[in-house]
Amino acid sequence: MPAGLDQLKHIVVLMMENRSFDHMLGSLSAVDARIDGITNQLSNLDTTGAQIKPQPLADFQGQLNPDPDHHFPAVDLQIFDGDDSAGRAATMRGFIKSYFNQRRDVKHSQMIMYYFPQDKLPVLTKLALEFAIFNRWFASIPGPTICNRAFAHYGTSFGRVDMNPFDVIEPFKSIYSRLINAKHTAKVYYYDTTSSTMEVVNLLQNQPQLFGTYKQFKSDCDKGLLPEYSFIEPNYNDHDTDSGEEVANDQHPDHDVQAGEFLIAEVYMHIRGNKKLWPNTALLVLYDEHGGIYDHVVPPACPPDKFSAQASSTGTGMEFKFDRLGVRVPAILISPWIPPNTVVDRVFDHASIPATVNKFFIGDDPQRSPRELNADVFIEPNVGTVDAKRNLLSLATMRDDCPVFDI
Amino acid sequence: MNQDRSANALIMAQVSHLQHAERRLPLKYRTEIYTHAIRTEGEAAEYIREVTEAIHKAHADAIKRRSRRGLEIAAAAERPKRKRVSTGKKKTSQLAKSKKKR
Repeated sequence: MPAGLDQLKHIVVLMMENRSFDHMLGSLSAVDARIDGITNQLSNLDTTGAQIKPQPLADFQGQLNPDPDHHFPAVDLQIFDGDDSAGRAATMRGFIKSYFNQRRDVKHSQMIMYYFPQDKLPVLTKLALEFAIFNRWFASIPGPTICNRAFAHYGTSFGRVDMNPFDVIEPFKSIYSRLINAKHTAKVYYYDTTSSTMEVVNLLQNQPQLFGTYKQFKSDCDKGLLPEYSFIEPNYNDHDTDSGEEVANDQHPDHDVQAGEFLIAEVYMHIRGNKKLWPNTALLVLYDEHGGIYDHVVPPACPPDKFSAQASSTGTGMEFKFDRLGVRVPAILISPWIPPNTVVDRVFDHASIPATVNKFFIGDDPQRSPRELNADVFIEPNVGTVDAKRNLLSLATMRDDCPVFDI
Repeated sequence: MNQDRSANALIMAQVSHLQHAERRLPLKYRTEIYTHAIRTEGEAAEYIREVTEAIHKAHADAIKRRSRRGLEIAAAAERPKRKRVSTGKKKTSQLAKSKKKR
């Protein structure tokens, strides 16, 4: 059995908000040609017909105001450039047009093509180059946050493509219920009660014992109490606390991207700095959806879910069968058992999170959504013969050269 | 830090989900915040905190009540049973009484 899988006891997922792969990590194609990022061939037309190329001019805060539209109809425009014919093909050329619709300012709409140069995101880019970067991790739905996060918790959004509360439909269960029913441990760590969770209606309301704060996450790491599976939510809003001010660190436009960099570094360092946790923990850092920001990779088709969204609820006049993925997002898997500069080309989406956790800790279970059953896993199940080509935690000995951030 | 920033669509969706949950809480746990008037991150944050804490409190109180009831039941089960003293007379059932009357 590969040593990394043999030692693995904890999977931690940190899900940030609303940034596309090209926007955050696209600059890295200049460093490593295997990374599918920004090239000189990419562009979108603006509303005057001018060809606008992606430019490394993204700023931490202030440019993406108003928040770029990323509801289902807007994402459809971004992907298909307004083509609603039966045989339409995705082009990824409608991003500027979509953003123009919000402020009707040609110059401003071009900012949707901006991306971060590598040196502006030292934490995310360092982790991407030092561990495993996913070239093909897509949002689960070409739509907004709530339904995409549902895929990370349940492996389905139960037919929803919007931000409204949804009902959990049997027999599908959250990954947390599945783990706890199988005598495993799991927790959702929201930042604090003033930021809370995006899974209010089903998880917080019915199973509040599943939740802890980010402070508790750090304490659980220190005390050896980290559950087998942890899902961390960032701080979604600026607020005061008894100990001072807390700035939103979710990186949702137009929140400060640097605050999110600090959070990512802090989560990483809290695991990295703990000699008992570091060898047996895998950390996945990813984004829930692209937030309306430019990415050039066409989202692939996938087997449909059991549910579908009617034409009346998609806002496009077309039914959606959950048979294609959303826009590509940044995703990085971190473990001292992963070789540096690992680039993964297999296709993943957020249904891969419960799929991986379920298979690793519990095993196969047919009572899961079709989308989850078809989703690839990013950590191989630790049973039988492990396919060496698929196993990302592949090193025979643990690395001792992993980066350290001064936080 | 800008608590006066307009709350984005995600935060407003979160407020709406919490309002959905708040409606299911017993009255004593509910806030007095009018959610339709929430515009800024600071206003949303206050509501989010109050309802999140209320949900936790409502569940914690329910657990306390459950364990208190559990203790009472256990205590009652441990009390010695009273011995019945026989009077030597046979009890006549209501049915037997009604038969006699006929």
